[in-house]
Amino acid sequence: MEKLRVLHVDIGGCEGCNVSIIRAYPKLMELIDLDITYLRDDGLKFDDYDVAIITGGVCMNEPSKIEKLKDIREKADVVIAFGSCATFGGILRFCRGGQEPRPDHRNFQPINAVISIDYSIPGCPPTHQMFQSFFKFFVSGNEARLRLFKVSANIKKLSGFDLLDDIVLTGLCIGCGACELSCPTGAIKLIDRRPTLVQERCIRCGTCYIRCPRASQLLSMGGERI
Amino acid sequence: MMVTPDNLLGSVVGVYLARAKDEEILKRKVASGGAVTAMLIYALEKGLIDGVVTAKRVSGFEGQAVVARTREEILETAGNKWSIVPFAARVKAKIEEEDLKKVAIVCLPCQAQFFGQMREFPILETDFGERIRYIVSLFCMGTFAFEAFLNYLRMKYDIKAEEIKNMALKEGFLEIQHDDSLLQLPLKEVYSYLQTGCLVCADYTGTWSDISAGFIEKEKGWTVIITRNARGEELVKGAEKEGYLEVRDGSQVMGDILRAAREKLARAQRNMMSLL
Repeated sequence: MEKLRVLHVDIGGCEGCNVSIIRAYPKLMELIDLDITYLRDDGLKFDDYDVAIITGGVCMNEPSKIEKLKDIREKADVVIAFGSCATFGGILRFCRGGQEPRPDHRNFQPINAVISIDYSIPGCPPTHQMFQSFFKFFVSGNEARLRLFKVSANIKKLSGFDLLDDIVLTGLCIGCGACELSCPTGAIKLIDRRPTLVQERCIRCGTCYIRCPRASQLLSMGGERI
Repeated sequence: MMVTPDNLLGSVVGVYLARAKDEEILKRKVASGGAVTAMLIYALEKGLIDGVVTAKRVSGFEGQAVVARTREEILETAGNKWSIVPFAARVKAKIEEEDLKKVAIVCLPCQAQFFGQMREFPILETDFGERIRYIVSLFCMGTFAFEAFLNYLRMKYDIKAEEIKNMALKEGFLEIQHDDSLLQLPLKEVYSYLQTGCLVCADYTGTWSDISAGFIEKEKGWTVIITRNARGEELVKGAEKEGYLEVRDGSQVMGDILRAAREKLARAQRNMMSLL
């Protein structure tokens, strides 16, 4: 089988996602031909791609980034947002401007605010195994397993706040503790078998929501949540 | 990613009726044929796993996540819990505390979904999916909002939580054994005390597991087993070959499983409409 042509572009993040992708690559070399800035000198390797992976959130004050995204959308058949900043805005949502070294940037959005995407894979950062696993299911065409990431592609924000609103306040929480275990910053604590959120700690990565059995069930059964 | 109407039972490799060969297992308070207990003991004794994380009833309905590393410890955890055990974080702590490398997890469909997702899509560096060898999920129609249910039992029937010795499902009734007497509650009466979150759950068997196990009325004394992949299939066949398990074909009970699964899905859809 011919290798998938995969392009990776980072449009403004902390590099955590990029490290995950690089770590994942050795096990995927048989499957994909990865075009990533670390492995080439300049320009793009190909004119078009089967898959484009985008990491980082898009700064809405930066026209060149917006143009770049639109260009990628045209060059790639499938576009995947990888990591919480690209999928749901993540911690970049907290940019307030006035920060060195780019003091003017105060409005970051997930990339689906600018272009349509096919899959969203949240995580801060998602692990390299996640990247490998995604491609395993993607190549084998296992849409059932990828449904959650497909539905997530239409969501612009997802966080502990949404988990509380949608699952806990509606009484749908079953108290299993999956969210508490999944929060990378320890923002969720189970008190009397129900999650509570330490707001200051929530980085809006959306991991708890995706991992909650009830929330992910509602997402994949009910379709879109915009 | 979850059960949808076109995929009611998830992937199915084999359906069996099984029961433990060991008399001692059958004598314990096992829910049906004791097949899960027997399979886990087999996996443990043959070194396929180094521990089982499951729930053990501590008092009344209350369960607690425990690690069983010996046959005796597994036997102590057998039997129904009737309430959800806040499992996830405890499981991680237990696995790390006891430095387990290959565990079997016995859980409910929602928890199986969480662990299954974690194993297939590890989002966090701290995920421990690679340590989970087997996910065994138990058929589930819901867990109790147990404070409310216990309160109801106390108010209406004067039964205190600490007096409850055992509970079992018997043909449309929930039988509660308390001290010396037996109370039969019609399921209709019991339903309203299930957790609201369980009323919108559409997964009866646990589609994210390697093996689903449960009980159906017409095959008393036997455990229904659904294997979902090669891993699950190997465990059942291995336990049979090594004399831990008596296994026969279970295709005739598929209709009953489907009926229960459909019933749960319909209930979920009805409730989802009114709740969301």
